[in-house]
Amino acid sequence: MRTKAYLKVIAVTVLITLSVLAMFSSVAFAQLKLDTDQNSVKIDVFYHGSTISLSGATDPGADLVIKITSPEGESKLREKGKVGFFWMNTGELKFKHVPNLYFLYSTKDTKDILSPEEMNKHVIGYSSLKEQVEISPIKKDSERTKWFTEFVKFKEESGLYGVSPKSISVTKKGSEERYNINIDWPFQAPPGHYTATVYEIKNKKIVDKAETSISVSQAGLVKTIANMASKNGALYGIVSIVIALLVGFGISLIFKKS
Amino acid sequence: MFLYLPVALTSVSILIILGIGLSIGLLSGLFGVGGGFLITPILMMLGIPPTVAAASGANQMVAASASGTYTHWKLGNVDFKMGIYLLVGSFIGGVLGVYTIAFLKLLGNADFIIKLTYVVIPLTVGGYMVFESLQSMRKARAGVTDELTKEESGFKKFLKTLPFQTDFKKSGVRHSALLPVIIGILVGILAAIMGVGGGFIMVPIMLYILDMPILVVVGTSLFQILFTVIEVTFLSAYTNHTVDFTLALLMLIGSSIGAQLGTILSKKMDAEQLKILLALLILAVGIKILSELTLSPAIHLTV
Repeated sequence: MRTKAYLKVIAVTVLITLSVLAMFSSVAFAQLKLDTDQNSVKIDVFYHGSTISLSGATDPGADLVIKITSPEGESKLREKGKVGFFWMNTGELKFKHVPNLYFLYSTKDTKDILSPEEMNKHVIGYSSLKEQVEISPIKKDSERTKWFTEFVKFKEESGLYGVSPKSISVTKKGSEERYNINIDWPFQAPPGHYTATVYEIKNKKIVDKAETSISVSQAGLVKTIANMASKNGALYGIVSIVIALLVGFGISLIFKKS
Repeated sequence: MFLYLPVALTSVSILIILGIGLSIGLLSGLFGVGGGFLITPILMMLGIPPTVAAASGANQMVAASASGTYTHWKLGNVDFKMGIYLLVGSFIGGVLGVYTIAFLKLLGNADFIIKLTYVVIPLTVGGYMVFESLQSMRKARAGVTDELTKEESGFKKFLKTLPFQTDFKKSGVRHSALLPVIIGILVGILAAIMGVGGGFIMVPIMLYILDMPILVVVGTSLFQILFTVIEVTFLSAYTNHTVDFTLALLMLIGSSIGAQLGTILSKKMDAEQLKILLALLILAVGIKILSELTLSPAIHLTV
C-alpha cells in the first residue's frame, strides 16, 4: 500500500514538473517568429535589387541575430600574384563549404552576445565561416587566413557578403516585443533559394530559432532572353548580330538624311 | 534608371552604358579602332564578368562598325580590295594565334608573354607615332615638304621587290598582294594572343607600312572589324553563351550614334591632328595597362 502511495506521489510530481516545463517552454520558445513581406523576389527588366522586411515577435530581453545565406558550395577564384614586375593571375583557388551569399544582422556585436562555440555551431560570423572553409591548394594556416580574408573582401566588394551589428531594432507593443529590419537585397544575388534564420540569444546561448525562405527568380523578358541565350545559342547569336546590323545601318541612314 | 542584364546577372545604369557606347563609337568613327581594349576593362569595373564583357562588346561593335563602315564607304573611304586581303590574313592569323598560345603555354610562361605584349605593343606603336607626328610637324613648321626630305627606306625598297605587285586604287598605293595578307596574319596572331580585335595595331601598320591615307585607313579598318566582330559574336553566343544582348543593345545605340559623330569629326580634322590623337590614345592604353600590372591590386582575388 505504501509503495502504491509513493508511486502515485512520484507520478503526480513528474506530471506537474512536465506541465510546468511545457508551460515555461511555451513562454520562452514559442514566441519567436520570422515573417517577411516577400518570400519571392522577381527579377524583371528594371530590377536593381529589392528591399525585404523581416520582422516578428521575440522574447523580452533576448538578443537577436539574423543570418541570410545561400546553400554552401564551392567558389573558384583566380589568385593574383607578382611575377617579376607584373601582377598577374598566378593560379586558381577553390573555396569549399562556403555560401555564395552571406549576410549577418544583429542587435549587438555577435562576439559580445554569443560564445565562440555557439557561433561555430550555427556558423555565425566570418570567424566561424573560416573554421569550416577548405581552401585548396593552401596548406599553411597563415596562408589560409590571408586567402580567407581576401575571399571575404572579394565577396563584400561584389555585394554578396556583409555583417551589420546593431542593425535590428526591437520595439515594445503592449506586453509583446517585436523586432524589425529592412534589408537591401543585392541585385548581384543570382537566381536561387536563400534562407533567412533568426536566432534568439540569452546568456551567450541560442535558445530558439525560426526560419523563412527567400526565392529569387527571373521573370518576363529577362527570363526569355536568359533561356534563349543558354538553350538556343546559335539563333540567339544570329538575332543579336542582325539587330546590331539593322541599328547600325539605320542610324547611319538617319544621320545621312539629316 | 537601371536595367537588369539576363546573361551577366547584374544590374547597370542605363545612362552609364549609353555613355560608354557613345564614347567607344566616337573613337571607332574617328580612328577606325574597335575599342575592345577599352570596353572589356570598363565593363568589368561595373561588375560584368570578363567573358560576357568581351563578347557583348563585340556584339555592340557590329552596330558601330556597320554604322561607321557605311558612312565611310559613302565618303569613298573604304578600300575593299585591301580590306579583303587583310581579312584573309587575319583569319589565318587568328587560327595560328590559338596554336601560338598553346605553344607558349607549353613553354610555361604564356601569361607573362601575353602581359608583356599588352604593354610593349601599345607603348612602342604609340611612341613611334608621337615621334613621327612631332617630326613631320617640325618639318612643316620649318617649311620643308615631305616629298623632298623623305628618302625611301631600305625596308620600303624591299617591299617593292616582293612578287604579285598590284594597285590599290582607293588607297592610291601599289604593293605586293602578299603584303596585306602577311600583315593580316601577324596582326591576327597578336590579336588572338591579346584577346582583342587588333584595330590599334592594324591602324598604325596601314598608316606607316602600307602608306594608306588616314581616312581610307579608318574606313577600311572598320570594314575589316565588322567581319571580325560578327564572327566573335556568333562564336561566343553559340559556344560560350556569353553574349548579353540587353547590354549590347544599350551600348550599340550609343556607339552607332558615336560612330557617326566620330566620322563627321574625322572629316573636320587634318590628318596630322588625327594621327597624334590616335597616338596619344594608344600610348594612354599602354600606360594604363602598365600601371594596372605594376600597382598592387586592392583585392588579390578575381573571377
